[in-house]
Amino acid sequence: MKPRVKSLISSPPGPARRSFWRSPVRGPWLTSVLGLALLASIPVMFVTGLLSYAAYNPDLSPVNDQTPGKGWLGFYLFSWPTHPIWLYRLNQGVHVTLGLTLVPILLFKLWSVLPKLFEWPPLHSAAHALERLSLFLLVGGAVFEFATGILNIQTWYKFPGSFYPLHLYGAWVFTAGFVVHVALKLPVMIRALRSRGFVKELRTNLAATRPEPPDAGYLAPVAPAEPTISRRGVLAFAGAGSLLVAALSVGQSVGGPLRWTALLAPHGQDVASPDDFQVNQTAASVGIRASETGAAWRLTLGTEAGASTAPVTLDRAGLLRMEQHTASLPIACVEGWSTDNQAWAGVRLRDLARLAGVTRPSSVLVKSLEHGGAFSQVVLSAGQIMDPDALLALRVNGADLTPDHGYPARVIVPASPGVHCTKWVASLEFRG
Amino acid sequence: MRRFSRWYGAGPLHLLTMLGCFGLAGYAAAELLPNNPIGIAVWFAGAVIGHDLLLVPLYTLADRSVSGVFRHRPPSLPTVGWINYLRVPVALSGLLLLIWFPLIFRLPARFSAATTLPLSPYLWHWLGVTGALFLLSAAALALRLGADRRAARRAPESGHRDPGPPAGSPRRAEG
Repeated sequence: MKPRVKSLISSPPGPARRSFWRSPVRGPWLTSVLGLALLASIPVMFVTGLLSYAAYNPDLSPVNDQTPGKGWLGFYLFSWPTHPIWLYRLNQGVHVTLGLTLVPILLFKLWSVLPKLFEWPPLHSAAHALERLSLFLLVGGAVFEFATGILNIQTWYKFPGSFYPLHLYGAWVFTAGFVVHVALKLPVMIRALRSRGFVKELRTNLAATRPEPPDAGYLAPVAPAEPTISRRGVLAFAGAGSLLVAALSVGQSVGGPLRWTALLAPHGQDVASPDDFQVNQTAASVGIRASETGAAWRLTLGTEAGASTAPVTLDRAGLLRMEQHTASLPIACVEGWSTDNQAWAGVRLRDLARLAGVTRPSSVLVKSLEHGGAFSQVVLSAGQIMDPDALLALRVNGADLTPDHGYPARVIVPASPGVHCTKWVASLEFRG
Repeated sequence: MRRFSRWYGAGPLHLLTMLGCFGLAGYAAAELLPNNPIGIAVWFAGAVIGHDLLLVPLYTLADRSVSGVFRHRPPSLPTVGWINYLRVPVALSGLLLLIWFPLIFRLPARFSAATTLPLSPYLWHWLGVTGALFLLSAAALALRLGADRRAARRAPESGHRDPGPPAGSPRRAEG
């Protein structure tokens, strides 16, 4: 019986044998440098992601909440500010561009630790089994988050459900795996980083590259092949990938004369007319009919149901006779693209609140002419109504709104996500 | 305590950390999963399998095949490191394809109607960037070969070049 037991314990041929993994540059130092880059960046992804969720003011009204089952995961929510006006533009630009930039780093990091997937025996204790399960959350969660985000910005909705719950709850699953991984591996990472001088490694060319010594962590090879790339070469390779992806996409968030540089990004192209700017829903694509936005269009100003005051209706000429204000504000999309500041002109939301008979509004329900759709109505906060730059815009850049920008009237609120700047507004229902 | 550690395989703090991790992940998963449990499980498992057991083996195999095919190439190629002039442009082009394949292959059906932007340029942008990467890499290799040759002429005796492995030795580097 004894030899049989032994054959069960010793690793089978193939990837479970350490000698199978021959790359001479794999090792704890290289993994740790890549890990450090992710350790510095993933928290930025996490925070900008949480902020983006807060920017929808999901606590203000069920209308705004794409993830009503969030429970404690909404512990940090706060009323989203209106200043600085570029807040959401910056937040989403960083979230999306940094996420894209991290793809090559993540791929190199996963490559560097692949031998561990096949370590033998696969489970040697209860602790080890739990740790491997947490790595499933970490790796599965990471790829899931990157995949859903990257597909969403290309508007290719092939993921298994609505983007908001998938990306939000998936982020928490990933974060659980990430935090526990950092807690367990931080000492190993620090030790590995100290094992070789960073500057010295950057001065080590291919001819002088020697494998890292075999480590307890299963990373460095026991039977290394001849190196074909130095460790600094691997880092330069990963860095070049990041720079390339960033250079070909950041223009869609920076805008202006740099937009064309985003050769591979959904909103890197300039729109047909030079005075025009980007949209992500045209009037036709959401079924807005010309008959609804023509002379028959009326804006209804209401108050909460049951209030004594009768609703006020205004046509477009009536709105234009009211005091007009101009605000220079960008459109910034959750997908990461944004426009430069546009000169919006229209009526202040707070003036409309007063006209509706509400001097101290606590919120407003904005309804669009859109038929259905997750953002055909939205609730704005008191701070957003009272901001002097928050408008029901009638004109932009010196001309009437075009149908695709929300003619006859649209909301524009500083620092708010693009989908909360409702187009083709039909009614505003203020609450005191 | 020692008995616990021997049975569990680590200290109690490890177990607490793990429980915290699965508690949080379970709380989020309880909201995530009910909408489409099978779809989401397939995506999570598919993410791991697709990367670890498909993508990595495929690019490793491609890398080794190229190394194998070009093992006995003209002596004018540097003994070591030349493969990076092929590896880097191929990998960077592949990276762009991996991220942007829906736009490149014009898959989002409603994109143009919703944004007024055409989907047609992305394939050409990707091909153009790929071409530029290969050109840059070729130029870098030419410069490197030129520099090597000049160095060889200056010091024909001293042997400027790393000798590399003997012809018969295995060179199965995956990275």
